[in-house]
Amino acid sequence: MKTIKRIINVIVILVIAILIFYLLNKLLMPKYMTDLVEGSMISQYYDEEKNHEVIFIGDCEVYANFSPMVLYQEKGITSYVRGSSQQMIWQSYYLLKETLKYEIPKIVVFNVNSMRYSEPVSEAYNRLTLDKMKWSKEKYDMIKASMLDEETMTSYIFPILRYHDRFDKLTKEDIEYLFDKKKNTYQGFLINKEIKPLENKPVVKKLANYQFADIDYEYLEKIKDLCEENNIKLLLIKAPSVYPHWYDEYDAQIEKFAEENHINFVNFLDKVGEIGIDYSQDTYDRGLHLNLTGATKLSKYFATYLKENYELTDYRENKEIDDIYQKKLEQYMKEIM
Amino acid sequence: MNLVSGIMFVIMLITAFVYYIVPKKAKPYTLLIISIAFYISLGWQPLIFILFSSITTYIAGILLENKENKTIKKIILAITVILNGLILVILKNRIFVKDIIVPMGISYYTFQVISYIADIYKKKYEAQKNLAKYFLYTMYFPYLSIGPINRYNDITPTLYETDKKFNSSQVFYGLLRILFGIFKKLVVANRIQILIATITGDTNTYQGAFALFAMLLYSIEIYCDFSGGIDVVIGFSKILQIKVMENFNNPYSSENIQEFWRRWHISLSNWFRDYVYIPLGGSRCGNLRTNINVLIVFILSGLWHGTQYILWGLLHGIFLLLGKVIKTPWKIVNRVITFLIVSILWAFFIWPNTVQACQMIASVFTRFNYQALIQNIGSLGLSLANYIVLIIATIMVFIYEGKKKVINEKIKNKAPEIKLILTISAILIILVFGVYGIGFDASQFIYNKF
Repeated sequence: MKTIKRIINVIVILVIAILIFYLLNKLLMPKYMTDLVEGSMISQYYDEEKNHEVIFIGDCEVYANFSPMVLYQEKGITSYVRGSSQQMIWQSYYLLKETLKYEIPKIVVFNVNSMRYSEPVSEAYNRLTLDKMKWSKEKYDMIKASMLDEETMTSYIFPILRYHDRFDKLTKEDIEYLFDKKKNTYQGFLINKEIKPLENKPVVKKLANYQFADIDYEYLEKIKDLCEENNIKLLLIKAPSVYPHWYDEYDAQIEKFAEENHINFVNFLDKVGEIGIDYSQDTYDRGLHLNLTGATKLSKYFATYLKENYELTDYRENKEIDDIYQKKLEQYMKEIM
Repeated sequence: MNLVSGIMFVIMLITAFVYYIVPKKAKPYTLLIISIAFYISLGWQPLIFILFSSITTYIAGILLENKENKTIKKIILAITVILNGLILVILKNRIFVKDIIVPMGISYYTFQVISYIADIYKKKYEAQKNLAKYFLYTMYFPYLSIGPINRYNDITPTLYETDKKFNSSQVFYGLLRILFGIFKKLVVANRIQILIATITGDTNTYQGAFALFAMLLYSIEIYCDFSGGIDVVIGFSKILQIKVMENFNNPYSSENIQEFWRRWHISLSNWFRDYVYIPLGGSRCGNLRTNINVLIVFILSGLWHGTQYILWGLLHGIFLLLGKVIKTPWKIVNRVITFLIVSILWAFFIWPNTVQACQMIASVFTRFNYQALIQNIGSLGLSLANYIVLIIATIMVFIYEGKKKVINEKIKNKAPEIKLILTISAILIILVFGVYGIGFDASQFIYNKF
């Protein structure tokens, strides 16, 4: 009897310990709600209804420049931006793979800017993409592909190993959003209304080598294959961000790849005039990203492009879905006013 | 390999598991295989050096035992000691060998094998005939990284013992000791390291009061770092029921430098006492010779740490001799003075450039700008919350160290559930308040390099 009681006690203690450990992990992990909100974008997708015909993948050039709400408003296109800061091409691949477990879109739009990077840029960016992603085989593989030398898999599994030093930086936000989260994007689009005009065009430095790395092509091929396997049309784009400079040599390589693989490629830098982007008004950080007005112009243009070139459903004619989107649009309009 | 790393934890866990499931007679050999594998993982070069030291002293031990001729015995002893000592000096100071990896723990195992060979020469015990068992004495992996310098006759009875049954109480105390060591290292020592790095990073700005602040903090850091590592070694060995000697005994409660060295790095002090001081004549040859012997021992002790620490060793020797004639009638005053002397002399560890260390010591007496220290204490790399954690953790460490026996006795009588709660709490506290991980580069122990 005494032994049974002891075993029960031990089990209870262990369960409580695991619970405390779990809570500490949650408490110390950044919440990305009011500061570095980019870190919460990946997870917001999980709460969405999964009926998107267009999925965007890529770095900040997608989440800052393309507004799915505008695509819907203009042409009834349902879309979602699975973008994140400095998203590497291997991260885009695994994110797409994860997305396909939830839904099969008609079009995947990949922003090719990340082709210029052949290795992870920083741990902080890895964290912004990975921290809030749901655990899956894709997340595990993405961590393995993304980790810098000083990073460890265990610190992703147990965030306390990475964020324990936040014990003196905890704020009200850490308690408020311990289990809760708030939406700070619209279908993955991050609104920014600020205006910081592009005053001088950045000086273009010559590079020693313009050739994309093998690893980038390897993952581009994988993205292409994944789309083909799922009967999805892949669309390559280059968003109209003025810097980092998109070299002609880069463009030529993407053109060639697109041509060889019968994939469409749109470089929006060539269509700035046509779209009507004015870098004295339409950017919030001197040309690196578009602000709300710039993103709206680009999204309107892109909605027309998509409608003209692909067979997409106009969901405004589907009452059930339109009701959902009208509610979202109402909120969106309030926020952008 | 770092003693407080995830990989080390896994190695220890596997070792303990395998150690208790293999047949009795296989236990020492299992430990040897794991130790060799551990050493191989550090590279082939270090393995060759430790094998060389082990084989030469193993053969010398057997030869010494079989020879009766005193001259031949002296020659064998001298050749073995010089050969191993030379390798230590050459490798540690990188004389002629710039590209060779200095074997981990070379200072510790070299002193161990020399003590073994000297003891055999003095017929203290019989030479070990079983090569594998002798290798285990020289290569037992936990103490290779940080010591202590174990005597053959102290450690081998439990190291070679095969009749061991799993003992949950030993495992608990071993685990608790490991956790206490990790706590000292990660919560206290590594936190202080942040402050030390800031102060040493700008020697023009941080002088005088800042230098003294660094010296006082470093006293705590090096103690928590070194003794923390030893706690891990002793704790893990306790789990395996192997008795490793204690290397510290409240050193900062010493009333003079002589007492300090009886309480600090005890295995090294004892080694110098038995194999240098006493053979030189010890205190039996008059005052002058005794004093010279003391200074020789301390210079050699400094040299053991590295050539740049010779002055540090010599000064300790001088203060030890002064302490014999100058002392106050008040215990507390003597303790404070001893602590201050030891702390100021740590300057040679904080600023390994001897000239710079001397300048910093001088600045304490010439540029004592305590107001600047008070104004800038918040900008030295630690937040207020971190200072509070540091102060509480340091107090906890010294209270426990001072009342270890009483506290352990109290814990001993507690129910297993309480012991479990204690262990889990310690782990959680270390996980949250430890200083480790990305952006922090002081995971190695200070005494790994010696």
